[in-house]
Amino acid sequence: MKERQKGLLLLLPTLAIMALFTVYPLLDSLRMAFTNEHLLKDPTKFVGLDNFVRLLSDEVFWISLRHSIVLTTVVVFLQFVFGLILAWAMNQDLPGMSVFKSVIMASWVIPVAATVIMFKFMAQPDVGLINIILKLIGLDNLNRYWFGDPDVAFPFIILLHLWRNVPFYGIAFLAAMQAVPRSYYEAAEIDGASAWDKFRFITLPGIRSMIVVMVTIHVLWTFNNFDFVFLATGGGPVNATDVLPVYVYRQSWNSYTVGYAASIGTVMLILLMIYFAIYIKIYERQEVA
Amino acid sequence: MGSKTRNRIVSAILAYVVIFISLIFFILPMLWIIYTSFRTQASIFTGDVFSPLEEYTLENYQTILSVTDFITFFLNSFKIASVVTVLSLFCSVIAAYALSRFDFKGKNTLIMGVFSTQMFPQVLLIIPMYLIIFNLFLLDTVLGVVLGQLILVLPFQVWMLKGYFDNIPMDLDEAARIDGCSIAQRLLYVVLPVAAPGIMVAGFFSFVVSWGDFLIVSIINQSQRTATVTLIIQRLSSALLIRWGQVAAATVLTIVPTIILFFFVQNRLVAGLTAGAVKGE
Repeated sequence: MKERQKGLLLLLPTLAIMALFTVYPLLDSLRMAFTNEHLLKDPTKFVGLDNFVRLLSDEVFWISLRHSIVLTTVVVFLQFVFGLILAWAMNQDLPGMSVFKSVIMASWVIPVAATVIMFKFMAQPDVGLINIILKLIGLDNLNRYWFGDPDVAFPFIILLHLWRNVPFYGIAFLAAMQAVPRSYYEAAEIDGASAWDKFRFITLPGIRSMIVVMVTIHVLWTFNNFDFVFLATGGGPVNATDVLPVYVYRQSWNSYTVGYAASIGTVMLILLMIYFAIYIKIYERQEVA
Repeated sequence: MGSKTRNRIVSAILAYVVIFISLIFFILPMLWIIYTSFRTQASIFTGDVFSPLEEYTLENYQTILSVTDFITFFLNSFKIASVVTVLSLFCSVIAAYALSRFDFKGKNTLIMGVFSTQMFPQVLLIIPMYLIIFNLFLLDTVLGVVLGQLILVLPFQVWMLKGYFDNIPMDLDEAARIDGCSIAQRLLYVVLPVAAPGIMVAGFFSFVVSWGDFLIVSIINQSQRTATVTLIIQRLSSALLIRWGQVAAATVLTIVPTIILFFFVQNRLVAGLTAGAVKGE
């Protein structure tokens, strides 16, 4: 056998697993989206676009769609901004910084289920840390279960995402910043550039490829994220935090209407494909430039 | 010169403010849950930060470890995460090596294809996946959960390891090839030793993802037999009457393994995770 063919064999296990557990499920769920498949009822039949027509007048779908888009946009944007600030701070050569850098990413490695419990406990009325602190500074009247209040539950979901990911952004941006040649900054200083100019014209372009990767992958991960909302609120109170992945999950495993669930999932996929297509366009243009 | 020193001091102060706020925001919640795990239900419910010394206790841990089946669930998690790590490392290392060292038609399309699976909603894939695993009679088995979780980690692992291998000079294994080493020998004796840090990070990644997975386990697990710690702490924390001290203890026990592993890899973590992003720069 030729060397190269042997090399291709190495790809087989990965491709086989992905074919069986990613590609096939994808195609099969796209098929389901056009059926009335129900996990507990037997005769499944092709229903054309019925599921998608039903979506148009499904209020919860529209609420979830809006939440998913807002959540992804706000979360990724804030993570990017706070990640940059954190990276800037860690890039200062100051005592204690290496210890800080070694502990700060801990929030990224612990299970989301544990993160959610920590925050749910802190958000408890009366006995949670947030309300204890509010009481200490005389704001007792704000005392409430923070995930149970329709007005603040959604911002709290955003907070959970930030808590988990901002240190990862910070550390990743820092790694990219440290790869920018020092001589660029020295040259700029001789030309009398301000700190802001240096940041804008040297640092940002220098870490551009890292920014692109982090933002792209987190748009996909955040939009598809199921755990945070499901574990923290289940989508409530009264749909105040519902997002598409959670709605798909409820439709498939609480109502067993997997055909309908698949049609919602298909809409998610189409939205992400549009995003991905735009990303590829931009990426290719940058590669050429 | 004076304004320059002043700028530096201002930067330092600002940086420390950022660090201080970050420590409170990112670390305090973890310390608070650890602290809570050593308090009695009564002292937690006073709503005070501190309690008299006799209100601190190990009882929460004793109850969690003896009264509930937590140890079984912990071992389940450990078994599943270990198998996922070993299998996914085997598959992704050889795949990434092939993608890094061999040229073939459609390679870039394939890499893009593997990467683009990151955009498939897991909640969508899991419906047919459930049916496949059902038809293989693997519901409620360790293997069923493992198979489901593999696709959570493989694409990202392949992508990051390929980036890592790309940074290792080709000359190394080229020289070994001329000396008559087979592919397996080159991979095992030439590339793996150099790539060990990256492989360690890839392994850490899959262990942590598997350990923290809730979605797949919640579908594949039907009884207590394959229940993992994430499933259990979720159940404990949504009970009608929540024993926060015990929930905190269970949560701490769930976090500890990931934190221990994290301290082993933390100084290599980012270089490894982002190897795919910084190649050739």
